[in-house]
Amino acid sequence: MPNPILIVILIFYLAFTAVGAQASLLLPKTIKVDRAALTAEPPCDPKISPAWREAQVIDGVKIEASPGCNPDNPAWIAAAVKGTNNISMDTLMKTGLSPDTIIKTDDLDGDGDPDRIIIKLEVMELNGKSPDFPGILPTFDIAPGVQPGAWVFAPKTSGMSTENFESVRANPLLRLPAPVIRVEQGDIVQIILENTHYFPHSIHLHGVDHPFTHKEHGGNDGVPQTSEIELMPGERRVYEFQARQPGTMFYHCHVQTHTHLSMGLAGMIIVEENRPNNWLQTLNIGGGHVRHPSVAIREKFDQEYDLHYHAMDKELGDIIKKYNDPRLIARDMNQRYDITDSTEDYYTINGLSFPYSLRESLIIVKPDQKIKLRLLNSGGETIAIHTHGHHATITHYDGVEHNPVAQIMRDVFDMAPAQRLDLTLDTTNDGKHSYGEGDWLIHDHREKGITTNGMAEGGSMSSIVYTSYLGEDGLPKTSHFGIDLSNYFTQEFWQRRVPIWQDLDEVASLGSPAGQIISMDITTQNYLLNALYGLVAGLLIYFIFAKREYFKQCAMAAISRVRSDKGSKQS
Amino acid sequence: MIKTIKIACLLTGILTLCVDATAQQSNPVEHDQHEQHKTRNDKHHDHSGHSMSQESGSASDHLHEHNKDHSIVDKTHEHAIDHSQHSDESTEHGDLHHHHHMDHDHIMDHEGTMIMGQNIDKLPSSCKSISEEKEITVRAGRKYAAKFPGTMFAFDQQEWRVKPCSKVTFHFINEDQIRHQFMMHGLPKYLYKYGMFHLEVTGPKTVSGTIIVPGSDDTFLVHCDISHHMEKGMKAQLVVGKGGENIPSIPGLTPYNINDIYEAENLPKVSDKAEQSAVVRQITTALTKSDTQNYLMILIGALVGLLSIPLIKKMMPSKKTEN
Repeated sequence: MPNPILIVILIFYLAFTAVGAQASLLLPKTIKVDRAALTAEPPCDPKISPAWREAQVIDGVKIEASPGCNPDNPAWIAAAVKGTNNISMDTLMKTGLSPDTIIKTDDLDGDGDPDRIIIKLEVMELNGKSPDFPGILPTFDIAPGVQPGAWVFAPKTSGMSTENFESVRANPLLRLPAPVIRVEQGDIVQIILENTHYFPHSIHLHGVDHPFTHKEHGGNDGVPQTSEIELMPGERRVYEFQARQPGTMFYHCHVQTHTHLSMGLAGMIIVEENRPNNWLQTLNIGGGHVRHPSVAIREKFDQEYDLHYHAMDKELGDIIKKYNDPRLIARDMNQRYDITDSTEDYYTINGLSFPYSLRESLIIVKPDQKIKLRLLNSGGETIAIHTHGHHATITHYDGVEHNPVAQIMRDVFDMAPAQRLDLTLDTTNDGKHSYGEGDWLIHDHREKGITTNGMAEGGSMSSIVYTSYLGEDGLPKTSHFGIDLSNYFTQEFWQRRVPIWQDLDEVASLGSPAGQIISMDITTQNYLLNALYGLVAGLLIYFIFAKREYFKQCAMAAISRVRSDKGSKQS
Repeated sequence: MIKTIKIACLLTGILTLCVDATAQQSNPVEHDQHEQHKTRNDKHHDHSGHSMSQESGSASDHLHEHNKDHSIVDKTHEHAIDHSQHSDESTEHGDLHHHHHMDHDHIMDHEGTMIMGQNIDKLPSSCKSISEEKEITVRAGRKYAAKFPGTMFAFDQQEWRVKPCSKVTFHFINEDQIRHQFMMHGLPKYLYKYGMFHLEVTGPKTVSGTIIVPGSDDTFLVHCDISHHMEKGMKAQLVVGKGGENIPSIPGLTPYNINDIYEAENLPKVSDKAEQSAVVRQITTALTKSDTQNYLMILIGALVGLLSIPLIKKMMPSKKTEN
């Protein structure tokens, strides 16, 4: 009979559990996570050639050195400076851009640079759900394994949206943030939005001098409640302007702004002062170091950096990872998502969080330099950027120069949502501008700003690093302090599965304690459960089979009773 | 063999030079692409790059396309045409030569119109000869998604059938104002780089390309690889002969591998507002309350049960007789 067997099994199990719990008078041992068990990445993206870091000339375009780990593709810079219509086919092929992404023509004022600029942007989804396999695509990591659902304005590309057919990783042009746009004061600029996305979108040019309506292209302010209807999927719209004032500005989608902006449809747009022979780097893809600064910047500064701070809500991004049907995504975003109940989870600088911010958004300086920093906060809350070791001077608020005699120095820069600040970072070691050489952090001092979905140290943290503290690989030299950043480059760290202090001493005094209950992994648990179900089912069948005569009788009795009832009624 | 190709190249090269020259002198001849030509001219901003000679520039563009589309019929070597034009343009129009890229399997114009992996003359090893020549017109755009709820972009058809070893020319018409692609995967890699044939064009515009399909029965994925265009409906298959395994999640043709969960929505209805007497409204609101509804269902269930008793009664005796 099976019943005694079951009882025996149960008794054995209980006995083992009891023995386990009683095993020792000591507290549970420390279990150290084996490095080999972690999904580690090299600190620098191996797909990016170190040759990209060097100063070089491509198609006559001078490109400054950028010693960081993952500098911009120099071909992108050459294409952005000359225009995709003016560079060699060889260079264009290295960019992945469409031949009509940036069209530069007509020197209208005869000062040696083109004054008609056409920029074509598409709207791309990152980390969205697939109906074909249980995963997302095209993938974009803001930190190892951290893939928030996002939308971006991307420069018009050519070919596939993934690296290749075997890969689900996004083509390098499809990334956060939307590219930084640079145009010259007085240029006739057309930003052409080709809506390749499945939702309506628009572009609002926040702070840029633009007409409310354009005589040829109609509504020009990007607002579906005031100037134009939503640009539907598959449609194209031209936004045209001729900016009279320079400054650091902001562009973003103004359709359902409370979600579309947070999803990533936001970027910097900079109007540079008009100068002769001013060939601008029209797009700074991924932001950060400007490797071909404008004439006006070169007159006053040694270097220029674009720093775009952004924040995203995980629950919002998860909607596009949950559904494929655009109607369901629209329902959840427009009718169910409530921004007043939401919290931001991901904080990024130039689209990435620490430690990836070290790859692309280091501010690499030398002593006695003047550096132009352009900051944008496109998050939903005020941020407070702190520069370790430096006081920088605020020269412009929202693209407008502050009275030079009233300009102030600070080391915490509060920025309201959509606000822009231009800072001058002076690396003169005088105890005020700079305290000397080092690897000085630059971070949001709201403490959640240095977390990624609550896990520290992440967020929009980066560094102002002097070249004497920069390693061969383009990352800050930290190993001489005994610092090891490799845990941050593992996916498990961001899944909150690594006890972060376990390696601080030999005995791992702050490692992870072993569990007390007989540990059973989920598969064995399932095996045992299934066995149990089988046993119960078997017993049931056996019981029915054994008592089949009894059941038959019961059924017959019931039927005959019903029949006799009916019979009596009839009679 | 190589020699004859070389001579053919040279001849076509000279021919296009002549045609080009005449085309620049006279007005462009009426072609079936006239419409595109017009729309291209309308977009002045796109052509401001050709300020040196806009008229001849677009004329030669036009001709270039004309040649591209008819080269297959003319049995000329396409690359040769492109090369000769290439050099011609570079001398005549300065920067225009930048706009045309070509190597053995990659042709692109200045607007990003692209033909990749075209094959007009190389027979697959499984074929002795070309079985038939076929032209297929493929339309792409948002409007074709209208018949498939829950999609946003689509091709006009989701399946095309061809004979093994047939030479197929696809005329890909993009009717949207954005980029779309006609990208085919899984072709033999010794003939097609990465096993791919790829047409790409920003609409509204047409691009054409030719392939020779393999000699065995097979089914090939066709899609647009722009982020989430395939996921949102722009997916189809090319069936060669009897075909192979179906490709999943093609709208209206094959089921999705992973489905979303749909639930009924509490949407406002016109009937909610309809004039109703107070009593009727009270009754209906009472009935639509979930508790009442549940009891109602139980009642209906009981009724069905009672009514089916005679049926069961009839069935039981018949079983008995069987026993």
